Amino acid sequence: MFNLYSCKNNANKILLFVVLFMIIMCFSADAGAEISSKNTADSDKMTIAFVPRSLENPIFLDAFEHSQKKAVDLGINLEWLGSFSFDSEKQIKIIDSLIERKVDGMIISVNDTPKYDRIINRAMEAGIAVATFDADAPNSNRIFNIGIDNYEAGKVTAEGLLKVLDQKNIDYNDPDQELRTMIMTGVKGALNLEKRINAFLDTVADTNIVIEDIVENQDNVNLAVELLEQYVQKNPDIDIIFFVGGWPFYVPAEALPNFRNWAQNGGVAVGIDIFYDALVLQDRGLIHYLVGQDMATMGSKGLSTLYNYIKYGVKPPEYIKTGLEISNQENLDRLLRIHQPWRVK
Amino acid sequence: MFNFIKKIANGIEIHTLRTKLIISFLIIGLLPILLFGFLSFNVYSGAINDRINNYSQEMVNRMKRDLEDYITEVERFLSKEQDFYINQFIKLTQANDFRNSRKYAFRIWEDFNNVKQLRPGLKDVAITFQDGRRISSYGTYNIDIDNFKESLYADESDETFFTQPYINYFQEEVVTVARYYYPEIAEENVLISADIDLDVLADLTDFNLGEKSYFLIADQNGDIIYHPEKSKIGERSFYYSDGFPDRKVSLKGEQYLLTSTYSEVTGWYIISMASADEVEAELNYITNLTIYMTIIVLILIILLTLYLSSSLSKPIQKLQELTHRASENDLSVKIEISGDDEIAELGQSFNKMIRRINKLMEQNVREQKFLRQLEMESLDNQIKPHFIYNTLDLIIGLLENKDFDRATHMVEALGKFFRLSLSHGKEMVLIRNEIKHVKNYLFIQQFRHGEEYEYIIDIEDPEIMDKHIPKLILQPIVENSIYHGLLPADKKGLIIIKGLRKNKNIYFKIVDNGVGIAPEKVEEINKILKGELKIDDQQKYFGLRNVNQRLKLMYGGNSGLKVESVENEKTMVTIRIDQRGGK
Repeated sequence: MFNLYSCKNNANKILLFVVLFMIIMCFSADAGAEISSKNTADSDKMTIAFVPRSLENPIFLDAFEHSQKKAVDLGINLEWLGSFSFDSEKQIKIIDSLIERKVDGMIISVNDTPKYDRIINRAMEAGIAVATFDADAPNSNRIFNIGIDNYEAGKVTAEGLLKVLDQKNIDYNDPDQELRTMIMTGVKGALNLEKRINAFLDTVADTNIVIEDIVENQDNVNLAVELLEQYVQKNPDIDIIFFVGGWPFYVPAEALPNFRNWAQNGGVAVGIDIFYDALVLQDRGLIHYLVGQDMATMGSKGLSTLYNYIKYGVKPPEYIKTGLEISNQENLDRLLRIHQPWRVK
Repeated sequence: MFNFIKKIANGIEIHTLRTKLIISFLIIGLLPILLFGFLSFNVYSGAINDRINNYSQEMVNRMKRDLEDYITEVERFLSKEQDFYINQFIKLTQANDFRNSRKYAFRIWEDFNNVKQLRPGLKDVAITFQDGRRISSYGTYNIDIDNFKESLYADESDETFFTQPYINYFQEEVVTVARYYYPEIAEENVLISADIDLDVLADLTDFNLGEKSYFLIADQNGDIIYHPEKSKIGERSFYYSDGFPDRKVSLKGEQYLLTSTYSEVTGWYIISMASADEVEAELNYITNLTIYMTIIVLILIILLTLYLSSSLSKPIQKLQELTHRASENDLSVKIEISGDDEIAELGQSFNKMIRRINKLMEQNVREQKFLRQLEMESLDNQIKPHFIYNTLDLIIGLLENKDFDRATHMVEALGKFFRLSLSHGKEMVLIRNEIKHVKNYLFIQQFRHGEEYEYIIDIEDPEIMDKHIPKLILQPIVENSIYHGLLPADKKGLIIIKGLRKNKNIYFKIVDNGVGIAPEKVEEINKILKGELKIDDQQKYFGLRNVNQRLKLMYGGNSGLKVESVENEKTMVTIRIDQRGGK
């Protein structure tokens, strides 16, 4: 006898079997195509990636160290990814691969350009929480930026410069004697750097300090050293150099003979970024005043803030400011004891 | 079969000289060309195939060397003994000592990026911990270590591992080479690996074999590691058969020459797939060239053949046509001679022959006319009024004497005599009738001259009686015997007529026992008969000369008369008819 119930039951079983089979097939096809596409062995963990501007810039090592510690505390799979030297194309490609792998969040240090805005917005649209650290892209849809107050950093650096000039009895108000200044920056379009320069210029606006040149080192440490040496050799009469970042400070003084001669002949150098090598240069008289960023906080707080946003939906303020650190003759010895050398001897 | 060929041959008039020449020239010209073309094509095609095979083998061997050099260099880097920085990093990382591990991390990033700089095609270099943590030239991240290990397969040394091509962490198509590293200061071993860009394999195999030809790389199981069509990468090759033995294979309806070599360093096969079409394109070019050359040569041979056969056969055809016309009694033909070859000589001979025939024809006409004239003269000589009147007077006398029987015989004999003389206008008569004619004459003359002489006719060979001879041959001689031999003599006369045959000659001997002829006269007569002596008086020796001339005209110079005589005793006239010279 025809049993409607049993027929219906069989149809459901078949349907269930087909659905299960399709799901299994989909998973098995994915696994074959990409060996490493699955993020971790423990896929339950949240994955957040830091994307610094480059790996070769040791300024980010503090952030790297402290973000790792925080990741262990929070049980996060932390990824620290970047091209060795800064290369916007490669950085965007890395961000793109993170989008493809559907990480939970990313904290990136980028330029303020439309192409970065687009990739950040694409990540956000894909459900990936994006924040910036150090350098910001305020026109994008990123959730927040963590970093120093770059304008403040530039202003403090300029004020420090004036103090050094005072100590050296150099008159920066004499309209008949210009103090010719060179500014070394990374790349145009980096909003953090632009703010620092603007603040510096605003602060020295009423002095006889005039900007002679702005040199771009493309965020490249080696290029920065090379450009600096060439510049002071060609322009030994330059009076002041303002380093918007600490790119050329990663080499010993012996690697900067022209710059050392220039400093010994009365040149005044101030800059932003404090790390061990920069402090050593300051100690040897090549640099006279440094303003540092708290990269460690950028790493740890940036990670925890994004974690809270992703896990608990805690909406952070758009800008999270980390403090400034000042290195002058009074606290130099103490700072040299605190900061660790990053280079393996 | 033979009949069929024969029919075709007949159909195209193969029997004509021109066709034979054309076929001969074509065979002579075409066979060597075809043979040469076939042989050179085979030799050249063999050389091209060898060259392609050698080239393909050389290419795959070169790729193998390049690939092994590249992989060996990568392996050399991966085969680190002990590296202080790596060891420190491993130890500190396992202890989560991030403060101290960061400088080693930085150093490793620096080192790995230097390696990437030195080895173009390396996409990433990494150290992977057993828990999936990884430090690479791009930083630090985590991977699914189980999945990664599953994808590895060992080479023959069992120390180096390879993966199939895959999309790596940074969405790059790579093949990973990995080795285990055992740090002295840590319990846990790690994997040091290098991601090789698939484009490196593409570059290594970037040799131009042709548009359709290509190279591919496959592992020991026949799984494709590199293929110009990326969708094929990872698939099992159709041509794997416990390796990739060199052979001809078919792919999508096209033939390919498969050549391979095996790399022991990588455990990979490097395979060349040379499109047979492209390989044979050159052969097709040669084939077409051979065909075109053969056609051109064939056309040239045909044209040359037509020209040669025409130039050779045309005079012969002309000669044939003129010969045919000549055979149809048109003896006005003449070949226009040009050149001095054998055909021209043949033409000259033909013209000469025609001229000769014409002359002979004219001579024959003249001779026939002369013969008729002689016959008529002979007849005139027989119908002498004196002979007729006397005979008729004799008949009248017999009738008056009422000797009707003899008169009847005379009339009968006279009638037969004239009838046989005329012979219905025939030129030739049977010897039998000629004998009858002489008998009639002798009968009449015997009656006229009162039977002063006797005659004997003796034919030794009766068979000659049925032979034909010119008429009126014997009667004039017999008449001479009567009038010049017997009648002047004062004795009983006798005429003997003998007929015999000897060696194709028919002889008649007319002998009389008359007064004979003086020797000098006999000599004169014979000279005249032989043509050695000319005479002005045409009536002199008329009978002898008439018969002699007629025989010579009809039977040639060997035939004719000969006179022998013993004065006052006898005269013998011999008539010789050489039948071999008869017309």
